[in-house]
Amino acid sequence: MELGLSSDQELLRETAARFIDATCPLPMVRELIGSESDLPAGYLGRAGELGWFALLVPEELGGGSVSGEGLRDLAIIAEERGRALQPGPFVGMNVVAAALSTAGTPEQQARILPCIRAGEATATWVFGDAVAGPVPGVSVTATPQGEGFTISGQARPVPGALGADWLLVSTDGDNGVSQFMVDAISPGITVTPLEALDVTQRYGSVSFDDVVVPVTSAIGHPGGADRDVEVQLQLACVLSTTETVGAMDALFELTRRYALDRTAFGRPIGSFQAVKHQLADLSLALEASKAVAAAAVRAVQEDRKEAGEVVSMAKSWVADAGIDLAQGCAQVFAGIGFTWEHDLHLFLRRITMNGVLFGQPDWHRERICRAHGLSQR
Amino acid sequence: MTTDDRTRADETEDEALRAYRRTARAWLSEHMPRRDGADQGHDVDYYTPEVMATNRALQRRLFEGGYAGITWPKEHGGQGLPGAYEWAFVDEAADFVLPDFGALTITTFYVCVPTMLAYASPEFLRRFVPKVLAGDELVCQFFSEPSSGSDLAGARTRATRDGEQWILNGQKIWSTFAHLADSGMCLARTDWDVPKHQGLTWFLVPCLAPGVTIRPIKQINEVAEFCEEFFDNVVVPDADRLCEVNAGWAVTQTMFVMERGAGRPEDGNPLEGPGPLAPDLVQLARRAGRLDDPIVRQELARAHTADFVAKALGARIAQMGELGLLTPGVASYVKLFRGTYGPRRARLAVEIGGAGAMTWDGDDPDGPEPALTYLRARGAAIAGGTNETQRNVIGERALGLPREPSFDTRKPFNEVLRDAQNWTGKV
Repeated sequence: MELGLSSDQELLRETAARFIDATCPLPMVRELIGSESDLPAGYLGRAGELGWFALLVPEELGGGSVSGEGLRDLAIIAEERGRALQPGPFVGMNVVAAALSTAGTPEQQARILPCIRAGEATATWVFGDAVAGPVPGVSVTATPQGEGFTISGQARPVPGALGADWLLVSTDGDNGVSQFMVDAISPGITVTPLEALDVTQRYGSVSFDDVVVPVTSAIGHPGGADRDVEVQLQLACVLSTTETVGAMDALFELTRRYALDRTAFGRPIGSFQAVKHQLADLSLALEASKAVAAAAVRAVQEDRKEAGEVVSMAKSWVADAGIDLAQGCAQVFAGIGFTWEHDLHLFLRRITMNGVLFGQPDWHRERICRAHGLSQR
Repeated sequence: MTTDDRTRADETEDEALRAYRRTARAWLSEHMPRRDGADQGHDVDYYTPEVMATNRALQRRLFEGGYAGITWPKEHGGQGLPGAYEWAFVDEAADFVLPDFGALTITTFYVCVPTMLAYASPEFLRRFVPKVLAGDELVCQFFSEPSSGSDLAGARTRATRDGEQWILNGQKIWSTFAHLADSGMCLARTDWDVPKHQGLTWFLVPCLAPGVTIRPIKQINEVAEFCEEFFDNVVVPDADRLCEVNAGWAVTQTMFVMERGAGRPEDGNPLEGPGPLAPDLVQLARRAGRLDDPIVRQELARAHTADFVAKALGARIAQMGELGLLTPGVASYVKLFRGTYGPRRARLAVEIGGAGAMTWDGDDPDGPEPALTYLRARGAAIAGGTNETQRNVIGERALGLPREPSFDTRKPFNEVLRDAQNWTGKV
């Protein structure tokens, strides 16, 4: 997606692509639909060995990147993951690793970070409506109690929640935004599987029934974690958007090939302007998505002052363009794309789902208006 | 470019280029007027005879100083330097007034004459190009015709040989700024008995030649940037033929590449931040009292996002060029984005502003702008190649999809015209 990668970055891409192809290609993703885990055995450990969860972790904490710019490297992997609709808590693991690295205590960093980095423990990010817009019934609050806090409420949908060992939970409350790192089997935490449009990975609902946590589990300053949460949202949006762009690229290529191979009325359907122009428009949506997603990666990587705005632009643009592209490709495939056994629907489901995770497009657009100080009612 | 960027650029340039910058800087401050304020785009009415004369004088000054035709060959009056020198000069000249001939700057210096340099005879170029560089020859395009727009190879303007000269008859249209030009680069049919691409030749036609009539066309938005021309037995000497007889189609293809922006110094601007949120639309929303309307806010953010995406896409395509990754057809993405999104954005102004923006008091200077923008916006979907043409270019060249069958590329052009009149759909 980004142009002009270094030879090390090209190697990172090839390694990721080879690993995916060997471990969890599309037929395997399909095979795992409806099974207990959305991951083949050993997937996360192998991914950990390849550094998938260490790129946002600084070297002194055992991480390190290929280019010195961890997010740019990670975006390369996210794009490859998107091409083959990879399951697993990739975004969540990296958001948690980054949060622990910047705001965790040395004790938390020593105890939790190495396992996550290695893919030996799983973690994901759980947040309520204060982070990425309203979802019915979703709100997670923390109330000070004694030496610690009580967490209550429910968050959904949470990718990567099922089977997670650790949850980074962002809470709202009278005393502001806080974050806690909690063991997923703590008393009062219930993770329930959700049925979802997207069948390529699992989503859960996480409920907190007066979960008591000590203050030592806080990540960053309780009541003052707004900036940390904002950075996490930017990371999650950039990675999920990049994944979508990878999925769009792969789906478009499948569709382009089909338009060359499939004949009707005595010639390839891609020679008809009605189909050709449709594909030209879809490829424009794809190129524009690549351009704006790459701009968002750079803005966050370089910590530019407009990073939040550019991320919201990329997230909302690619969400809409992704659906346009997936639906347009469905029209080119026509009948065969309407079947379960064709891969189109897997792409359509994942692309659509990514578009509404971490803030749906209209929420991000309102955020853009606020970034410019447009008056509110 | 910011001062920081300029300093960084300096560090990576070689000594010769740095010396060139220093000399240019000194020359500019001695010979060219400084600019006050940002460079504004002007509409055609701004280019009065006086304004044109002033700019021609500036062009002559550049020529005499050795800063005209920086990349053009020395034997034709240029400086024979690599593109980096032209970019460096444009960069150094950012705070100075440079010659501005409106659309003729592009057609003369970035489309027509560079194309001529590739195809015209040395005798012609030695005679003609120095006049261009001195500001005495501004060139427009006699290109489209009433019956041949997207199908440019279907040109019907006729050039008939008569000894050492040619007689031209026919009609051209959509010639931008032709009424202000000195000559036009004209596509004409020189052989009607061969397939359409094989009977075309280019000529230079002076705008004041006997038999040439140029009429500005009043456009949908009431300004007149384009003209139509009538050629009535116009005599053109064979010395002003710009390519081999009947070899005009290859020239046309080069011209298309130039038209899409190849080699212009503004290429390759790095992507900057998103900038202010769609100021024109925000102002409309404010005047309409709708800045708090959630529907309007969505549309404002959408427009602002699309504005940024357009810039990001342009920067990406330019970066592809720098990295040598530009494949055929890809440059059309920027054009198709503008051509599809531009009209939508203008329509948004109608939706946000409503009746209040589509009517205005006679003494309100800002009043007409949304309505005029709305009318003008369709131009982006048509001029310089319609959206449909861009989609064909992208589909066939960038995506490798097969062409539609063609019914006019193999038979003599005479028969093409006849058969088109009697089209039945059966081949």
